[in-house]
Order: sequence, then C-alpha cells, then structure tokens
Amino acid sequence: MDRTDRLDRLAQGVRQIWANPAVFPFVFAFSVGLAVVLLTGGNPFFAYQEMFVGAVTGSGLRNTLDQAVPIIGMALAVSAAFRAGVINLGGEGQMVLGGLAGALVAIYMPGPGALVVPLAMAAGMVTGMLWAMLPALGQTRLRLPILITSLLLNYVARSITGYLVRFPFLDDSVTLTSTEKIPEAARIPKMPLFGGVSLSLVLVLLLGGLAWLVYKRTVVGYETQMAGLNGSFARYGGIGVERQTVGVMAVAGAVGGLIGTHLIIGSAYRFIDGELVVSGLAWTGLLVSLLAANRPGFILAAGLLFAGLQIGGQSMQRNAGVSWRLAQVLQAVVIVAVASRLALGRRRRKGRRSAEAEIEPAHVGEV
Amino acid sequence: MAAPALELRGITKRFPGVVANDAVDLTVRAGDIHAVVGENGAGKTTLMSILYGLFPPDEGEILVGGERVRFGSALDAIRAGMGMVHQAFRLFPTLSVADNVVYRAEPTRGVLMDRAAALRSVAELAERYELAVDPEALVETQPVGVLQRVEILKALYRDARILILDEPTAVLTPQERDRLFTVIRRLRDSGRTILFITHKLGEVMAVSDRVTVLRNGRSVAGLVTAETSPEEITRHMTGRSVDLNRRAAPHRPGDPVLAVAGLEVTGEHGRTAVDDAAFTVRSGEILGVAGVAGNGQTELIEAIAGLREAAAGSVTLGGADITRAEVADRRRAGLAFVPEDRHRVGTSHLASVSDNLLLGHHRHPDRQRRGWFKLRNVRAHARRLIETFGIKAGALNNPVSTLSGGNLQKVVVAREMSHEAPLLIAEQPTRGLDIAAIEYIHGRLVSFRDEGGAVLLVSAELSEILALSTRILVMFEGRIAAELDPAAVTEPDIGLYMTGAYLEREKGGAPGGRKGGQDG
Repeated sequence: MDRTDRLDRLAQGVRQIWANPAVFPFVFAFSVGLAVVLLTGGNPFFAYQEMFVGAVTGSGLRNTLDQAVPIIGMALAVSAAFRAGVINLGGEGQMVLGGLAGALVAIYMPGPGALVVPLAMAAGMVTGMLWAMLPALGQTRLRLPILITSLLLNYVARSITGYLVRFPFLDDSVTLTSTEKIPEAARIPKMPLFGGVSLSLVLVLLLGGLAWLVYKRTVVGYETQMAGLNGSFARYGGIGVERQTVGVMAVAGAVGGLIGTHLIIGSAYRFIDGELVVSGLAWTGLLVSLLAANRPGFILAAGLLFAGLQIGGQSMQRNAGVSWRLAQVLQAVVIVAVASRLALGRRRRKGRRSAEAEIEPAHVGEV
Repeated sequence: MAAPALELRGITKRFPGVVANDAVDLTVRAGDIHAVVGENGAGKTTLMSILYGLFPPDEGEILVGGERVRFGSALDAIRAGMGMVHQAFRLFPTLSVADNVVYRAEPTRGVLMDRAAALRSVAELAERYELAVDPEALVETQPVGVLQRVEILKALYRDARILILDEPTAVLTPQERDRLFTVIRRLRDSGRTILFITHKLGEVMAVSDRVTVLRNGRSVAGLVTAETSPEEITRHMTGRSVDLNRRAAPHRPGDPVLAVAGLEVTGEHGRTAVDDAAFTVRSGEILGVAGVAGNGQTELIEAIAGLREAAAGSVTLGGADITRAEVADRRRAGLAFVPEDRHRVGTSHLASVSDNLLLGHHRHPDRQRRGWFKLRNVRAHARRLIETFGIKAGALNNPVSTLSGGNLQKVVVAREMSHEAPLLIAEQPTRGLDIAAIEYIHGRLVSFRDEGGAVLLVSAELSEILALSTRILVMFEGRIAAELDPAAVTEPDIGLYMTGAYLEREKGGAPGGRKGGQDG
C-alpha cells in the first residue's frame, strides 16, 4: 500500500513536470536534434554528452554562468515590460547605449574602483532608461506604436555608438574599432567561485529575486500585471496605464543599460563597435522571457539552460565534431515549440469559449 | 401521424469540465412553433449549434423528417433544410440587402451574378412573407429590426423548412418584437417549422405551440403551451417558483449625487453619440436609462466613468467636478461601476478570482502598506466578498474564466458594491443571466438604494427598468427623449420614445414638452 502510494505520487509528479509548459519544448527540441545528428551520420548521444560535460564541468561551468548573466539580465529587463503588456523590442539599443555610457565613465572617470564601478553602472542605467522612455513617450503622447519605434531605435542606437566609437572615443593604438581598454581598477571584479565568475552573477540573481518580490507582492506588480492581462480592465479599475507604460519602459531600459555596462566593464573590457549587437544577447534574453512566461524563477532556469546550450555547443564541436550550430538549432526548435504551443493553447481556449457562447451578450452593433 | 419534422435523441456534448448537453431529447412536430427555453448555461446554444452542424455531438442522433442525418458542417444542415438566425447577425454591412440574401446562392447569368434577378426574387420573397425590407438598401444603413428580417430572408431564400431563431428578441423594441411574432406565425402557417430559443417566458406564451424546457443540459419537460402556465415553465427551468412582477417599492430620494449638464460625447467615427444630456441622480433613487442599444447609452456611461472624453458639458460627482478627472480620481470621488461587458472590461479572464476581486481595492490601506500587499488581508477581502455574495468559486487562485456567467457577474457586482461608493453605475447588470442570478442582483441594487446609495441603471430590458427605477430616462439617437414616471407608463409608452415615434407625433402638433411624464 505504501509502495503504490509512493508510486502514485511519483506518477503525479511526472505528470506535473510533463504538464509544465516549459518541459515539452526542450524534450521536443532534443528529439529533433537527435534526428538531425543521426541523419548526418553522427552519434547524437556522444554529442549530447559532450555538450552536457562541456557546459557544466571545469571552465565550462564558469563560462556557462558568465554567459547566463547577460541572458538572464536581458530576460528580466524584457519581462518587466512584457508583463505589463508593453512590447519592448528595444532591449538591444538600451543595452548598447548603456554599455557605451558605462564604458566611458569607467575609462575617463578618475578615482578608486569602488566609486567608479558603481558610477559606471549608474551611467549605463540612466542612459538605457532615457533611451527606453523615448518610444514609451512616443506611444503615450503621440500614439506611435512602441512595438515599432522601440525596434527601429535599435538601429539608431547602433549608429550613434558606431559614430562615437569611430570618432571621438576611438582608441587608435589598436586595429579594432573600439574604445580604449577599461582600466583594471574600473572593472567589475571576479569572484573566487567556479574558477572566477563575474560578481555580476550575484547582481543578476538579486535582480531576479527582487523582480519576483515586486511581481508577486507589491501594488506596482499587481497593477502592471493587470494592465498586461487586460488593458480595458486595468483602465476601468483606475490604473494609469499610460503612466505605467513609461514606468515599465524606464525600468526595462535601466536594467538593459546595466547589463550592457556589465558586458563591457565586467567581461569584454572594451567597447568594440557592433560586438554587443552581434552577440544577439538581447534577443536571446527576450526569447528566454517569452519561454518563461515572464516569471523570474523560470527566467533564471531557462537562462541557465540557454547559456549551457551555447557554451556546451562549442565544446561539442571541439570534442564530438558536431557543429556548434546544433545548439542554435535546439534553441530555435525550443522557440518554435513554445510559439506553437501558445497558438494551440489559444485555439483550444477559443473552442471552449464557443461552448460558453450562451453567456456572451448579443452584439447589437455587429452586423 | 407523419414523422416529426425534427427529432433529437439522446444528444450529449461534453466540453472540458462541463457536460453542456446531457442526453437531450427534443421532438418538433412539422408546422409547429416550438420554443426551447432554459436559463443561461442550460445548454440551449450548444444544442442549436449541434443542430446546425457547427460541431458534432459526442453521442446521440438527429432525425430530419424521420431520416437520420449527420451534419459535418453548417452547409450539410442547410442542405437538409435548416436555416439559422443567429443572435449576432452575420451580414456584410457594405453590401445591399439583396446581395446579403443571395450570398453564396447567387442567381447567375453566365459567369456573372444576375443582380436584377437577385433584386426581383428578394423583393418577391419579402412580399410573400410580408417582411418589409428594401432590397437595394445597404445593410449598414438599416435598423436592427430590418437586419433580422434580412437574416430570415436569407434562410427562406435557401428554402429552409426548419428555421432556428436564437434569442431573436434580445435587440428588438416591443413593437419590432410584435412584428417579428406576426412574421413567425405567418411562416408557420405557410408550412414551415420554427424552433424558437429564448429565456423570456412572455414570448414563449405569446408565440409558441409547444415548449421544451432545458435545465443543466437536460431536457426536463415537453409541454403544450396552451395547457401550461409561465409559473409551471419557471418551475421546470429553475426547480422553484419566482415572482416575476415585483416592482420596487417607491422610495424618497435625498440629495443629488451625480449631476450631468449639457454633456456631449463623440462616439466612433466622429459622430455625436451623446447630445446635450442633462440629469441628476440623487441618493436613495435608481435612475433607469432605457433605450435600444446603440443610442448613446454606452458612450454616456463611458464619459461619466472616465473611459471616454467628454466633448462638452460637465459631470459633477458629490459636488466635485470630474468632467476631466482620471478614472482613479473618479473612483476616489465615489464612483463604482458595473460595466456592460463583464468579459472584456469587468473582469480579466486570465487573472485569478482573488485578483479580480481586488481591482480598485488594491490601494486600500487595509490591503497594502507602502506598496507592499498585506497578503492575508487581501485573501480575507476576497473570501469575505465570495461569502457575502454567495459566489460559487473554487480556489482563490483559479482563473476567473472558470466561473459561470452568473458567478462572474457576481464577482463584478461584489467588487463594485463593496466600495460603498455613493454612486453605482450598473450597465446591463443582468444581461444573459438566469432568473436566480437576476433576482439576486436586483435585490442587491434595491438594498443599495435603500441604504441611501444613488444608482444609475442602464438596461435594454424594459421589464428591468420598470421593476427597479424610481425615474426613467429614455435615450434615442443620443438625446434624452423623455423622462418618465415608472408608475404611470407602460412598455408600449416607453417604446414610442425608444423608437423615435414620439417625434412624428410631436410634428403632428401635439402640445406638451418632450419631457412630460404622462405622454402615452
């Protein structure tokens, strides 16, 4: 009896895990990847093993954690806006401009690291924040859809930083199109953990915890979520949706700018033109937030997974001879699976709603 | 005896978590007007959708004229001689009446549509059944009553032998309703079979030959109308008797709470939706706003609630001018609001029951301190409302979409009433609800009034307006057409103002202002 009880509980646990919307996409993606490697004549199990080993052992673990910092950070930035129903696609621009601002403070500001580093971070945050508020005000004041303006401003941000790095702040002692190197003292220190993970990891984890608290426990968290779930409902209840749009964009931009700053003064140590854009980190973060349905706990998990995929993928290429692009394929399939699941879910809900048609009022104006 | 025109045997349809139809039997004799009644959620619409081929039943069979049929789609149903007039009309607004009627069955000449033939046959059809329409008029210019006739013509044009009318009177004025009944009788006399879905007992008694009552997805009674009574049908619908004619006791109103003066509101497409509206609502009274939907009521309420800008005029609440105030400030000044659309405005589908009950209360000092929720108090608040208002909800964290229509509306009413605001705006507060829920909400509105609250009630349901109001305003084309005393008017009197017929009469030179109390 005791045993069947335990078995029952186990079965229930398995069902719960399976019912979790984030599990199926990964299982599906790894199955697709398996088929791809088989078809190309490789050994998928060896490839996956190398990917796993490469992601969590030795310096792989440190690299994975370091890679997770910006992914999780950008995902948290995106979640703040997405939760409130504000489609902020400008994470990249906010990150790039914030990164340059932070870098410039770190390079040109004299003083001890304990002062310069926080100031550089603050500069990155303020820059990202102001940049993000631009499309927000465009939407609330001029009715320009934020979805479009925030996206297009990425190109403007890229050009602005491109100009600044190419002309006023160019370091002509190297062949790169880059600023000067960040002085040692003005860098974000490494922790003596897993072979030297950036201190920013702690920062990002704290940010995640803070987001969880704010989303779950505060009036602001409630109001933003209500606006995201149903804007008409929020407006009807007296929530200032317009003001809130500007607010969440400011937060998203500030976090984006902070992560940009970390990428320069905590990781690359130079602002090289276009590097932050090419990394695609802002977009990976956006996908992670979508995958996690904007929930901080899931963002941490999914961010780590994506970072592991990317780092493990490189190791897989080295040791198993399977191109690291397989990791990108897995990432892409996960996204497709998530998207189709969302679409399917919506269709299923619609079907159910037609059963409730009786409670829908007759629409007189609908001819 | 000939085979019944239509027979349903043991129809069962399940949706996740609900059995919408549970072994429903229904036999409709040829040439009958057969009413299907039931409270909302009783399974009427599901049954009709199955009958019209919109989705298949899980069990059971359908016989048309004694033959088993299986509908894969609405097209199959049409081919078998079924015609459906939906609650929400499915017409092309920018096409003519005739074009809409012949759509997908156009008379052709070669590869082209024969417009002249279409016009001719639609005019002919309309004349034969005395369904007055102008075949050449654009649908978007026609009033609701005409649109319904167009829908009926559509079915007749396809030679439907069995016509299904789904809640056909919901959008009609009393006069239009009576005209519809004449049409239905004429169709029956021409040998067609009519299936008439409604939850209004008066209509069942007025027009049907037989009645089938649905309750909780089951067919609980098959009655001959002439041999039954509204009370008996009600008993079958609800399992208990209810008093349908209760009028609220007169009450002495106090000070003005809401004052609207010269209010003008712009609606969709820049047209003037509300024109020079002026009235006051005092504490201890229910001011009823009657009118056919779409005559400016929605815009009027939105302007008062702060969801739409006022183009001119003023709105004063408790002495404070709130004409341009934000929603939050209006609520602080003492406004609570049960909106017309409880699915899209009054609640948030995906949010939990608790979150839905919290909106507007979420900054109350009992519920938060410096922006941090006191979670225990938040939950207690939700539980209190659920208990006081008898809301049937599962766990507090369940999404509110799991609630039935009546309970969903109770969530809205509970939340808004517990603000204890001096003014409560109730817009179509009982539309689509079953009798038990309607009674409950009416009782709540009356006790709110008795405690000195001011209620602004908007309803398309005249019986509701008459049952509850201390005074009645009638809106027609954005203007307040009349202010009436409910004790001294009848439904047809109000209907005159709702349809604009009073304007004709005034043109005839009849003296007396348009705001007389005893016009009829």
